[in-house]
Amino acid sequence: MTWVKYFEEPLVKEPIAIVGSPGLRSIGKLAIEFLIKKFQPKLIAELYSEHFPIQHGTIPSYVAHPDYPGQAGVWIHESQITIPKVEFYYLKDPELLLTKGYHANFQGQYEVAKKVLDVYEKFNVKRMIVLAGYGIGNKDVCCAATDIKLIKEMKKYGIETEYEGAFYGFSGLVFGLGKLRGIKGVCLFGRTQPNPEDPEYPDLKVAKILLKKLSAILNISIEDINMNSEL
Amino acid sequence: MDFKIYKEPQLKDPYMVTGLPGIGHVAKISADYLIEELKAELFEEIYSPSFPPYVLISKDGVVELLKNEFYYWKNTKLKNDLIIFTGNVQALTPEGQYEIAKEVLNRAEKFKVKKLFTMAAYVTNKPVTKPKVYGAVTHVELLEELKKYEVIQMDVGGISGTNGLIFGLAKLKNIPAICLLSETPGYVTSSGYAVIDPKAAQSLLEVLCKMLDIEIDLKPIEERVKMAEEFIQQLEEKEKYWRELIRKSTTPSPPKDIYL
Repeated sequence: MTWVKYFEEPLVKEPIAIVGSPGLRSIGKLAIEFLIKKFQPKLIAELYSEHFPIQHGTIPSYVAHPDYPGQAGVWIHESQITIPKVEFYYLKDPELLLTKGYHANFQGQYEVAKKVLDVYEKFNVKRMIVLAGYGIGNKDVCCAATDIKLIKEMKKYGIETEYEGAFYGFSGLVFGLGKLRGIKGVCLFGRTQPNPEDPEYPDLKVAKILLKKLSAILNISIEDINMNSEL
Repeated sequence: MDFKIYKEPQLKDPYMVTGLPGIGHVAKISADYLIEELKAELFEEIYSPSFPPYVLISKDGVVELLKNEFYYWKNTKLKNDLIIFTGNVQALTPEGQYEIAKEVLNRAEKFKVKKLFTMAAYVTNKPVTKPKVYGAVTHVELLEELKKYEVIQMDVGGISGTNGLIFGLAKLKNIPAICLLSETPGYVTSSGYAVIDPKAAQSLLEVLCKMLDIEIDLKPIEERVKMAEEFIQQLEEKEKYWRELIRKSTTPSPPKDIYL
């Protein structure tokens, strides 16, 4: 079962969803956490799922497999309890729905992505930007999109396509299933060096490069990025 | 499960052909080739939560979900139209494979399919010069058809995954079905990927087209066969080299001097 708890239901126009989740060198996670910290948006909803393990059965966490469902549970931090979740934050200006994702196990990956898209539909999301990492190629940031028109649009920001192949996990499925529901979007991939010993070891430098490209697209100022201190 | 319906075709006494990716991609290559040559039209897509949890980014940068697809082809010459079922993936779990197989057979019933042809690979685990085609049937009277087209009757063995389940569940639904299995060595690369085998698909298509009584140009697949053979040859040479290297490194060299 996957369910959403709403804390607030703001009057929205047409927010752009920004999606980031744990993944290759944690680039998407770092980027979304930075945006949340920087702009202090309102937490409006949380998504919970019985398919969210606290300890994933696979390494990296996004490569889910039916035989390795992981370990369910909760975390305790400074005597406070935390349950695995996806968080939705609303920012009024620019109007964004920031989504901090989490990887479900194999049984829940599609279910969770669909529930996220239900939230997007509720808040009239028509466009999304997904933030992630990629481990090959030459470009600093490359992109994928739900249609060719958006790929051409990205060229204006000096972002070309390069990533070809499988895009795993929460962000990939929200992106792909979003297309099926008519939500147009782009995915920005920051190029990083894979770390086989710890695939999700944070790459702050690349997350920063990725955020600079995002700031150009959204026309927002995040020039004073100091990720080490912000995160 | 999600469905995207593009069209509701009106079909006359259709046959159905099914082929999902499997060993050597034999069934998938065959289905794709039929679609390409006949210019069959896509009419429905299926998306399943039992598919692996990733999306595909194509060369042009456009994102695609993993999916299974139905195509149709209107036969202007003969009486039987055609439905082709394929996709870029198989469901990973047995539950998902059953669900997909049932959906396929629901379409077979909906369109009043006259005969179902499922495709699969017959793994030999050794090099194959000219792949032989084996067959199995849901109804005894269909054995005559195997004989007519010189298909070898498959005595024992299993057909795993969705390709097998479509065939098996067809019997339960009393849909006449023939499964054609083409011989393939079942090579796997060192990184675990199955080597595609267009040669096996070519043999399978030769038989299938006769059974369907349709004519398609099989010359373009020969080019792919050549390429695959070159690749397999390289693979075999490398394997031979490594085997030899391992043999040398594990065989102790004889002592230089022997004292008795």
